[in-house]
Amino acid sequence: MGHRRMAEGGTTRREFLARAALMALSASSVGPARAAAAQAPRRGGTMVVTGHQEISSLSPDDAGPTVHWTAVTQIHNALLELDENYALVPTLAQSYTASPDGLSYTFKLRRGVKFHDGTEFTAEDVKYTYEWYMNPANHAINANNFKDVDAVQAVDRYTVRVRMKQPNAAFPAKGASTFIVPAAYHSRVGEKGYKSAPIGTGAFRLKEWKPAEHTLVQAFDQHFRGRPYLDFFRVDIVPEASVRAIGLQTGTSDSAVWPLLVEDNLRLAKDPNFTTFVTVTTGVNHFPINNKRPIFADKRVRQAMMHAINRQRLIDDIFKGTAVIATSHLSPAFKTYYEPNVTKYPYDPAKARALLDEAGWKPGSDGVREKDGVRLSFTCVTITGDQARRPEAEVAQQDLKAVGIEMKLAEAPVATITEKMHKGEMDASLFNWTYGGGGGDPDPSVTLRSNGGNNWSHYENPKVDSLIDAGLREPDPKKRRPIYSEIQKIVAEDVPFLYIMYWNWYTIFTKRIKGLPKSAFNGPQLYRKAYQWWIG
Amino acid sequence: MWRYVATRLLQGAAVIFLVATATFLILRLTPGNPIDVLVGEAEVTPEQVAGIKQLWGLDRPWYEQYLTWLGNMARGNFGVSVIRTGVPVGTMLAQAAPVTITLNIAALVASVAIAIPVGILAGIRRYSALDYLGTVGATLGVALPSFWVSLMAIILFAVKLRWLPPFGLHSWSGYILPAAVLATEQTAVLTRMMRGSVASVLHQDYVRTGRAKGLPEAAVVLRHAVRNALLPVITVLGYRMAFLLSGTIIVETVFALPGIGRLLTDSVYHLDYQVVQAIALLLAVIVVVANIATDLVYALVDPRIRIG
Repeated sequence: MGHRRMAEGGTTRREFLARAALMALSASSVGPARAAAAQAPRRGGTMVVTGHQEISSLSPDDAGPTVHWTAVTQIHNALLELDENYALVPTLAQSYTASPDGLSYTFKLRRGVKFHDGTEFTAEDVKYTYEWYMNPANHAINANNFKDVDAVQAVDRYTVRVRMKQPNAAFPAKGASTFIVPAAYHSRVGEKGYKSAPIGTGAFRLKEWKPAEHTLVQAFDQHFRGRPYLDFFRVDIVPEASVRAIGLQTGTSDSAVWPLLVEDNLRLAKDPNFTTFVTVTTGVNHFPINNKRPIFADKRVRQAMMHAINRQRLIDDIFKGTAVIATSHLSPAFKTYYEPNVTKYPYDPAKARALLDEAGWKPGSDGVREKDGVRLSFTCVTITGDQARRPEAEVAQQDLKAVGIEMKLAEAPVATITEKMHKGEMDASLFNWTYGGGGGDPDPSVTLRSNGGNNWSHYENPKVDSLIDAGLREPDPKKRRPIYSEIQKIVAEDVPFLYIMYWNWYTIFTKRIKGLPKSAFNGPQLYRKAYQWWIG
Repeated sequence: MWRYVATRLLQGAAVIFLVATATFLILRLTPGNPIDVLVGEAEVTPEQVAGIKQLWGLDRPWYEQYLTWLGNMARGNFGVSVIRTGVPVGTMLAQAAPVTITLNIAALVASVAIAIPVGILAGIRRYSALDYLGTVGATLGVALPSFWVSLMAIILFAVKLRWLPPFGLHSWSGYILPAAVLATEQTAVLTRMMRGSVASVLHQDYVRTGRAKGLPEAAVVLRHAVRNALLPVITVLGYRMAFLLSGTIIVETVFALPGIGRLLTDSVYHLDYQVVQAIALLLAVIVVVANIATDLVYALVDPRIRIG
């Protein structure tokens, strides 16, 4: 998760959500009787959504931040696209097959698809796009999604074969979900020119782009799934969360891409003038703890900390109940791979004390436990000005103190925290991060593997390393599942970091937006479906 | 006179240079860099990050970056934004400036239009109901944080009364609320200044003389008193420029206006070095020029003041 998002406590579009929200509203509209009574779709109008930060580029390679992505996804399509219920849906591809050895993927492309400039989408465009990411000279941010790709072949006009250097089961979710750009146009204007004038196959084409103000896209008549009902879709940039809520209330906007304040979410979710989807994020709210520090070396100490912290109270008191307790590093939202049968850590201070005693940490004169003259004391650095997580740390501090662990609190800017956690120069911190599940694949290579670039807790377990590798080499999802279950079980046993909770994510629409799905497991992904919506 | 102007301009240039250098250094001392922000959550290797840094010249030592930047500035090149991946900072400023300028001119005109007459009346009729009302209004105007005033204005005029849009610039009416909020504090300060100034001038001999020779009261007040009372107000207006600009930051954020203030906060947040540096420099230039201009205007308006 990028700094911007970590700082704001948010999640990103790659936060895939599992437990559907199913507020009474959306649930109540399920059923054939209700569907028959619904209005027939109508053409016309402008749907306005609000985001919190400027859309600095419209290139798919820059579309990491949720607000960017919401605009970019209207303009582009990928061979495979993740939907709001976590399914990887063939979109520009009609179908695809993986070879049993996992060394090649063959995509049959949809025919008669037009780019916004009227040219036809073909295998050459896929080849061009993928090779652009693979070329190190282009410094593509998302190059890593193609790291195991050996070559991309346009077998014929409508068939693409991707040969892998080694099997990488995450390729369909990561590589093949890359938005396709038109080869002729992109090569002519270059990436730099493309950022402000993108041309895709999407349901909407770019009409006007003012990065800090709004991005306006217009219905594309020749879109392969049919012209969208909406004439226009606009993303307005509104930095203040309370003002975004006011936008919804006054009907100035129809939805907020980036979360509102918890109070506003709860209020609007109860309001019959809105349709609300409550989902669970994939990023875990956690205390990464430096496993290289001697005081954290014994896993019984880490387990004791889990037992010591009253997580439900944190959820209820600090987050007004809008979160679920974490059981491991994967979110319950990520149903396909979530493993519920793991070691659990209910709030149990007595057990925490017993584990600490067993590990040889005895209460010292000031109540803080000691072992061989070392006090069980560390510093947790929260993000400067983090109004949500600082109180969370303060409550946890009291819980830990009750069992004889001293957690001192400090604050630092995000960049300092990431840098020092990376270098192992900090004991602990508190932020949200995605450990697999982002992009629709459970692979946690970057976060849990011993050499992972974002292995914040400096966790090392050879068994986990080999399981991570095995998971990537196995193309069959059915055989992958037990591998990731095993990883979750080990993580729940080892407690490499204190996984606290998964926040709820509210996606709210005004009632005038019709054609919304009945339920969603993944709020942000909903905006991919704007081509199906109309204003009623 | 010209020698004075030249000296002031040289001093101003030194101030601007110091501001530019300090901004540069503070940004480089801040942990983190724009590439981390750009890359975000993407799974990147350290080599990739190094490559992207090199692409933007951020791999070079800070003094090299500093000298390059100074050289570019001297040639009128403000550099490029990393976060907008290569858009020239000059272009970004040109897009944002009209919003901020419009907002500030509207706020300035509104505050002067209200503060001068109210201040004059309050000054003439001191301790009247009008004066007390003005005092209360002015105190509130200065004391209430503009962030709060902005939200209250939105709730009243956009949510309850539905007269104006809550945010954005989809029509000219989008300027009304933010300009009014921006004008609030300015009006308060100017009203108090004008009141005090008029009150003190009314005791002057020339006012008594005017009355003694039988001039109508309106002529005494407007032609003699007010003209002289305006002097200190003009000075304040000059240095208030800086306050108006800083108020713009909050107002542009709350009302979602794509002006210079928003650009500055976004860029600071994203550590978009060259954008922050350019805006800091621009603000320094504006404040310096406004101060020099105020001194000159002062001299022109008041024949007693000789400079140089």
